[in-house]
Amino acid sequence: MATRNRTLIYKRYRDALKTVRVPTSTSPLQSSGKSSCSGPVIELVNSSLLNPNRNYAPLSTEDPGNSRGAVTVGLPPAWVDVSEEIATNVQRARTKMAELARAHAKALMPSFGDGKEDQHAIESLTQEITNILKRSEKRLQQLSAAGPSEDSNVRKNVQRSLATDLQNLSMELRKKQSTYLKRLRQQKEGQDGVDLEMNLNGGRSIMEDDDLDDMVFNEHQMAKLKKSEAFTVEREREIQQVVESVNELAQIMKDLSVLVIDQGTIVDRIDYNIQNVATTVDEGLKQLQKAERTQKKGGMVMCATVLVIMCFVMLVLLILKEIIF
Amino acid sequence: MVLVTAARDYINRMLQDISGMKVLILDSQTVSAVSVVYSQSELLQKEVFLVELVDSIYKSKESMSHLKAVYFLRPSSENIQHLRRQLANPRFGEYHLFFSNMLKDTQIHILADSDEQEVVQQVQEFYADFVAVEPYHFTLNIPSNHLYMLPAVVDPSSLQHFCDRVVDGIAAVFLALKRRPVIRYQRTSDIAKRIAQETAKLMYQQESGLFDFRRTEISPLLLILDRRDDPVTPLLNQWTYQAMVHELIGIQDNKVDLRSIGDFPKDQQEVVLSSEQDTFFKANMYENFGDIGMNIKRMVDEFQQVAKSNQSIQTIEDMARFVENYPEYKKMHGNVSKHVTLVTEMSKMVEERKLMLVSETEQELACNGGQGAAFEAVTNLLNNENVSDIDRLRLVMLYALRYEKDSPVQLMQLFNKLASRSAKYKPGLVQFLLKQAGVDKRTGDLYGNRDFMNIARNMARGLKGVENVYTQHQPLLFQTMESIIKGRLRDVDYPFLGNHFQQGRPQDVIIFIVGGTTYEESRSVALENANNSGIRFILGGSVILNSKRYAMNHYKLFLILGV
Repeated sequence: MATRNRTLIYKRYRDALKTVRVPTSTSPLQSSGKSSCSGPVIELVNSSLLNPNRNYAPLSTEDPGNSRGAVTVGLPPAWVDVSEEIATNVQRARTKMAELARAHAKALMPSFGDGKEDQHAIESLTQEITNILKRSEKRLQQLSAAGPSEDSNVRKNVQRSLATDLQNLSMELRKKQSTYLKRLRQQKEGQDGVDLEMNLNGGRSIMEDDDLDDMVFNEHQMAKLKKSEAFTVEREREIQQVVESVNELAQIMKDLSVLVIDQGTIVDRIDYNIQNVATTVDEGLKQLQKAERTQKKGGMVMCATVLVIMCFVMLVLLILKEIIF
Repeated sequence: MVLVTAARDYINRMLQDISGMKVLILDSQTVSAVSVVYSQSELLQKEVFLVELVDSIYKSKESMSHLKAVYFLRPSSENIQHLRRQLANPRFGEYHLFFSNMLKDTQIHILADSDEQEVVQQVQEFYADFVAVEPYHFTLNIPSNHLYMLPAVVDPSSLQHFCDRVVDGIAAVFLALKRRPVIRYQRTSDIAKRIAQETAKLMYQQESGLFDFRRTEISPLLLILDRRDDPVTPLLNQWTYQAMVHELIGIQDNKVDLRSIGDFPKDQQEVVLSSEQDTFFKANMYENFGDIGMNIKRMVDEFQQVAKSNQSIQTIEDMARFVENYPEYKKMHGNVSKHVTLVTEMSKMVEERKLMLVSETEQELACNGGQGAAFEAVTNLLNNENVSDIDRLRLVMLYALRYEKDSPVQLMQLFNKLASRSAKYKPGLVQFLLKQAGVDKRTGDLYGNRDFMNIARNMARGLKGVENVYTQHQPLLFQTMESIIKGRLRDVDYPFLGNHFQQGRPQDVIIFIVGGTTYEESRSVALENANNSGIRFILGGSVILNSKRYAMNHYKLFLILGV
């Protein structure tokens, strides 16, 4: 695809025009300062810091507001800190997910030890990631802003973008967990040859031999029984964990799903969003105007004016009384 | 993927080198060009957190200097004025200006003059000056499309404006594809010739450096046609999915606005019909209405199965699976309800307006012979109370186009009957259409009754019988494409411009129809491309027509010329 860069010509024109332009007395900053800046403004006079291609403009000894070649970089509003915090959390969660994947792989490898430390590591990692996601999701709610304005649209969009990231991470975590559990289960079944699946509905007992009812347990069977019991307990614990994590995940996904854009729908269209911005800003303006009018017409204002007039009248009468009598 | 990919590449390049939070500012034309190829979620991934129109950006005065502004505008004088004002009072930290077509030096001068605070970092030309609705179909969304029929003497400046926009659009397509074409045009059309000449001047003289690409063996072909050569296709009622939706409801930039035909819940008022994002639509957009019905039923059954399995949650695994698959399920649900709504509404309209009956006669008028029978059928339909005004007008127009020379008495009878039924369609309107697109003005063999080969072919087809009465019409474009494939496009009818010449068959052909394309024609192009004949066709037009818009074009011109 062909493109054409006109920056060079443009800059040449701009520099040429700069030299012939009569320097005005009012600084350009002051004229734009009429617009309400949302935060303190940092003046960067040495523009070469920003753009190495620029010519170095000598520091002027006069008021920085008058220098021409300066770029004003405003401090971003406070909510940007929140969004950056969430973004770093997302990044941290990602690195931890990579760690988790490695821990899963390690735990699945056949080893001589008990594997308990691996389990602990996995549990703690999973817990950490879930906590990060939950915290980030709560912080995300803080980004919502009331009132139609450009800033609130930016916030809404930042919110949506972070919500998509969080949702994707939650789903990834869930998938990793389920594949790990599945593999673990396969391994354990392979070891014992005992079918360990338990249904919520069923509660199929592990011991399928019914004729154990009146048999004497010999030692071998006792050992087997104890082992199965241990596995049962552990299975229950695992299931409990899965239930908890599924619950948490469901909660996160429910909260996020209102924010995330469904791809391919009308909400994902740029022109639809522009229309909505225009209408909400217009409506906001109308609401403000209406509020202004009702306030002006408000009874309070009437009362106040009447009272003030009365006061004046009384004062005049008082003075007259003093003069005449 | 050709046009869509080109537009997307341009936008990707615009955004990729600029770091940090950005605001994207578009104008009313570029917003269409961007919206059909790029989604809001993709913009968010590129850290574009605000999108605004250039003319509404005044409404707020808050300074957002933590954002970097990326402008993507057409280089029109209004946009330059907007930019001047905004550069004089900059609200954003940095300004990156991208224009969708070539800037004049004076315009760069004006911008440089107003940029006192030197906030502009770059000024580039990225030629995404077309709306790529499909991979092989683009439009320019020109507002006053009817101007193409205006004689030059009436309003030369408006006509020049129209031609400039078309030339800009065509040039942008070729710059995006990095090719320079050989140009042919339809002999009988003045405006086609004019556009061909101006395009050639731009590509070969004025900006020959910009268009000087690495020459491949065979240059692509640009063929410029006039809508008036095939006035029948836009007037016909359509029965394939995409064309039908546009005909009955209306598609604009791949969006369908259902609010005009009824009340719907908020999330179904406007829907997106894009073959890039909707696999069901991609598979069904060129299918017949009957087949679509069956396919939708199958889709609904599949969905119901999924929904049922979601409801029976018995194990932990089921619960986990449900939570995992919920986004997919939601998407499927949205898609199914969109298509079901569209097909339901269209069925209702077909029933109300008795379109099956009307369309049968239309297809007869367009394809087969029999003047007497046609006259009777049209008269009956004109007398039928259920037929709407626009359908009556269409029938009379189609009859007039076909039988303008046979039996003028009967033709006059039809005109009068139409006028008595619908007062605003005076007899002059249809006669006006005949003057514009009558048999004397046309180049192509629209009804296949000039060329002996065509007559023979038609007779054979009549004997064989047609598969489906309602879709038997083939647009004239189909024949034109066939001629190009066989290398037999007649020089007499479609001459080369100036000293252009082409040996052998081109591999890429871009057909531009001045006055607008139709979805029936884009379907023809897509099916032809799927045949792998060795030639890749791309279709473009000034707008995308349906019968209402086409009739409205004529009506507007009719009023202007005061005929």
